[in-house]
Amino acid sequence: MDRVGVILCGGCGIGDAVDLDAVAAAAAAAGAAATLVHPCCCAADGLEAIRAAVAAHALDGIVVAACSERAKRQELASLGFDPAGMWRVALREHCAWSHPAGDEDTRMLAEDLVRMGLARMRGCRPIVPVAAAVSDTVLVVGGGRAGLEAARVAAGLGHPVVLVEKGEALGGRLAAQRSVVPEEPPYDRPHPNPIPGLIAEVTSCSDITVLPSTTIGAITGQPGRFAVRLDGPPATELTVGAIIQATGARPYDAHALGHLGYGASPDVITSEQLEVMLLAGAVVCPSSGAQPGRVLFIQCAGSRDDQHLRYCSSECCATTLRQAHELRAIDPKSEIVIVYRDLRAPGQLEHLFAGVQDMAGAMMARGDVDRVRVDGRLSVELSNSLLGEHAAVEADLVVLAVGMVPTAADGELIRRLHDARHQAEHAESAQARADAGRLAGELSRHQGTEILNLGYRQGPDLPALRYSFPDSHFICFPYETRRTGIYAAGTVRAPMGSAQAAEDGAGAAMKAVQCIEMAKRGEAVHPRAGDCAWPEFFLQRCTQCKRCTEECPFGTLDEDAKGTPELRELRCRRCGICMGSCPERIISFQDYSVQMVADMIKAIEVPEDLEGKPRILALMCENDAVPALDAAAANGATWNPWVRVIPIRCLGSTNVIWIAEALSRGVDGVILIGCKYGDDYQCHFIRGSELASTRLDNVGETLQRLALEPERIKLVELSHDEFDRIPLVLDEFAASLEALGPNPMKGF
Amino acid sequence: MSSIPVVQPSSKFREAFAKRGGAAAARCYQCAACSSVCELAPAAAPFPRRQVLWAQWGLVDRLAADPGPWLCHQCNDCSLRCPRDVAPGDLMAAVRGMVVECLAFPRAFGRLVANARTTWPLLLLGPLLFWVLLLGATGRLVLPAADPQLGGLEGRFHYQDVVPHALIYAVYVTATAWVAVALWVSGRRYWRLLGAGAARHGSFLANLFPVLGDIATHARFKECGRGVPRRRWGHFLLMWGFVGAAATSGFAILYLYGGTPIFDWLGLGHGYPLPLDHWVKWLGNLSAVLLVLGGTLLYANRLAVGDRLVGATTGSDRFLLYTVIGVVVTGVLTEAFRFVALPMAAAWLVYVLHLGIVLTLFLTLPYSKLAHVVYRTLAMVHERMSGLTTG
Repeated sequence: MDRVGVILCGGCGIGDAVDLDAVAAAAAAAGAAATLVHPCCCAADGLEAIRAAVAAHALDGIVVAACSERAKRQELASLGFDPAGMWRVALREHCAWSHPAGDEDTRMLAEDLVRMGLARMRGCRPIVPVAAAVSDTVLVVGGGRAGLEAARVAAGLGHPVVLVEKGEALGGRLAAQRSVVPEEPPYDRPHPNPIPGLIAEVTSCSDITVLPSTTIGAITGQPGRFAVRLDGPPATELTVGAIIQATGARPYDAHALGHLGYGASPDVITSEQLEVMLLAGAVVCPSSGAQPGRVLFIQCAGSRDDQHLRYCSSECCATTLRQAHELRAIDPKSEIVIVYRDLRAPGQLEHLFAGVQDMAGAMMARGDVDRVRVDGRLSVELSNSLLGEHAAVEADLVVLAVGMVPTAADGELIRRLHDARHQAEHAESAQARADAGRLAGELSRHQGTEILNLGYRQGPDLPALRYSFPDSHFICFPYETRRTGIYAAGTVRAPMGSAQAAEDGAGAAMKAVQCIEMAKRGEAVHPRAGDCAWPEFFLQRCTQCKRCTEECPFGTLDEDAKGTPELRELRCRRCGICMGSCPERIISFQDYSVQMVADMIKAIEVPEDLEGKPRILALMCENDAVPALDAAAANGATWNPWVRVIPIRCLGSTNVIWIAEALSRGVDGVILIGCKYGDDYQCHFIRGSELASTRLDNVGETLQRLALEPERIKLVELSHDEFDRIPLVLDEFAASLEALGPNPMKGF
Repeated sequence: MSSIPVVQPSSKFREAFAKRGGAAAARCYQCAACSSVCELAPAAAPFPRRQVLWAQWGLVDRLAADPGPWLCHQCNDCSLRCPRDVAPGDLMAAVRGMVVECLAFPRAFGRLVANARTTWPLLLLGPLLFWVLLLGATGRLVLPAADPQLGGLEGRFHYQDVVPHALIYAVYVTATAWVAVALWVSGRRYWRLLGAGAARHGSFLANLFPVLGDIATHARFKECGRGVPRRRWGHFLLMWGFVGAAATSGFAILYLYGGTPIFDWLGLGHGYPLPLDHWVKWLGNLSAVLLVLGGTLLYANRLAVGDRLVGATTGSDRFLLYTVIGVVVTGVLTEAFRFVALPMAAAWLVYVLHLGIVLTLFLTLPYSKLAHVVYRTLAMVHERMSGLTTG
């Protein structure tokens, strides 16, 4: 933007703390096309004054130096600027409220903040949203309860649906169940199986095309226009706008549970096998064909166990309670024992649970099952029981409540398998070929597990996180996966019961529809929902290093044969991680680029003499760290006045050139504050802070070569709620820099 | 591994236990709120959480061999605090009922009384019929005649004319001996069960006396979390009323051996009928007053504290209650009819009814709630001897 005006607000105490006329003069000196000081910008006359200034000076962009961007959003949005036209500087939180009024340092801070905003704004270019034909169709993969519900809801929202099912019939695992856990008041008895009704509704809906016995041959493209090839009778090609993966789960293989007697006695069965008998209306001991006098359920059979499934499948307890009710209905005399570690029957399931407790002849026993003896009558030996000692319970039929394993493929591992196979044949050294061969062997179990067959650079399926479930930060981003436009729902996403799977299907359908509608407007989806800017690649300078295609957490970039990135704009979440990764700095958004942040750093006035005031650059994640700093200011915290904060989209967008730029200009230290990473990551973009940390390790080596202390750079993980900690982090860093002495590059 | 206890969760036990008032045991999730609020639970072996678990798991042997249910004085504070409505107080009462029935000598009598809800006609009419038959057999089915020789405080006639004292003594001494034997056998069984579970130290008698002191003053009732004074003093009066009534009967028996110097000195040499102002009469009447007062206090307590604190009342509880009321009412009427000019038939009827119902009370004593006299005392002695401390 060429004509950028600076609006300075004097409200909320800013005018009392800072001499705004001096700041305005500094802004004018730094090239502002106009400056406006107003005592209350968010009031009607303030907004009117801004409009008048914009019109009078023909401004194409403004820097609003007032409060945090989280305040007065609506008021300032009414000015009608897009993100490339308006930048907000949190003069109130980052300067006026957190530093002594009238201080020289406070004024210098205000001037720097405004100059930085101005520098940034001048680098912005107009945003032209991606425009492309978008398909309204939603592809649902899997015809279980979640998939059926997703199809029903998406169709109800006016979208055509294609429902693909690998098997011959719809219904999934639930189709073979006598009933489901209660879903409506009084919640104290099994609920009739809703699957037949749901199937009838879906198959009779004219907007839903059901394709049984069909798998996915290939998916390419991006949200709004995925090109899908279906393998089925007949093979079909179609374009869809969004995809819901609801491929469900399968029961854990009980053959691994020899210590519980499975395989050793025919009278040790799984809950699935019991369900078959319940459906047939006769429960018998397979060994003798006689009615069991006592049926014993073992909960957590192979679940929450380091040797087997490490997680809780969450629905086995409810299933057992339901089966106990069904068993009782078939044979009121049979005794029921439920051995559990923690019986989980949350919410209204309490009523189902209480019903089993009240059954005469039903007993719930807490304990860990050590083993099941199969010589003679089955005897289940417990330790850690509530008796505080070992105990044994005899039974005629033992039912193992096994957990569930998601029917998901691990896209990243499949790709690593393919890469390793390729390397095993083509690597240059014999050692590399042998290593790759070994890796391929370890990963061979992923051979042929593909479901979605995505033609993505990063692998043919969704990336998985813990326990092989698709990586999905459900609390922050429900149903989102790391592949934009593809949503996971039901037991493939997380272990859950049937009612929750139905809810999941509906939720994912709404996300899919939302994605299609946003694609039509060229907007990013969560978490930068509505952002229409997109990354431009100056490919003439691309060295095909593939860092961007590797590091994008969302698989946005494909590659051509040479390894040049191919952008699929609508897969992009606009985090800027590619921008941070690029050693050639050829990736820029219209409103966010390496150059723009570098210009902001240049706009910081660094006192040149070694005895002068130090300067500290703080690159902070705008999702967590900056809001935490705002909250700190609102709570009256103060921090070192030499810190200059630059909000960035994600630490992952940090390009090391920024750090080099800062240090070469005499800034004494650089602190990066971002989200927690690791398995419990809090990063909005999955791996941003982790990638930044890796990049900093490399920078540390460079610093040592330049005879600069690596301690001048620091990365801190911090969450949104740690507003009490963030001023301490800044002050401690400032103190450590003071101990190191000034940056020797000052003044060069 | 053979030492592992085999849990037998039988539906039969569950159903039987439910009938005694322990139906809600299965609801317990072992939060131990009950044990925490109980002021009487010994720190080393707190109740009633464990007992609820044993009931859930059908561990009858452990329930029977545990002093906890008897150390409990059923204030029902636990039932009030229980977040799952398990009513541990009722459960402890159910365990006590189970122990009384299971350790009864002979077992069949225990079952008969435990099932008083259905067997009550037999339990009431049996002794009554016995008296009628006995009187018929001894040719005494006659109405008494008024005796003008008697003084104003001696009444209109002799009850001895209705039933000779010898007959009464013969029957009740035998019944008392039987009760003593039954309680002795049950008590010994229980004492051995307790001993198998914990090592005891010290002499029985040395530990019995402090326990009796405790019982005499009802000190423990004071400790109960919900130990409202009405409960303590109601039970206190009731207990001393029974003790007084028993003492009255005892002195009456001593009359058989009247004439020795010591009896003369006590004024026991007096011939029948005793005048109303004789001290034995005073003792008997005072006991009746205590029983009525105590009973009234307990009844007032039931009305005041609400259902949860009252707890469940089983069929055999009711039977005992009505029997005691019957004894008191017929006893008081029997005495009153000596002085009231009613047809002799009324006095006869009331007297025979009284004799019958007293016999019922005697014979059912080792199998009813009243057996707690032995079990609770033993449990309290055991508590002291085995080093459990009340915390």
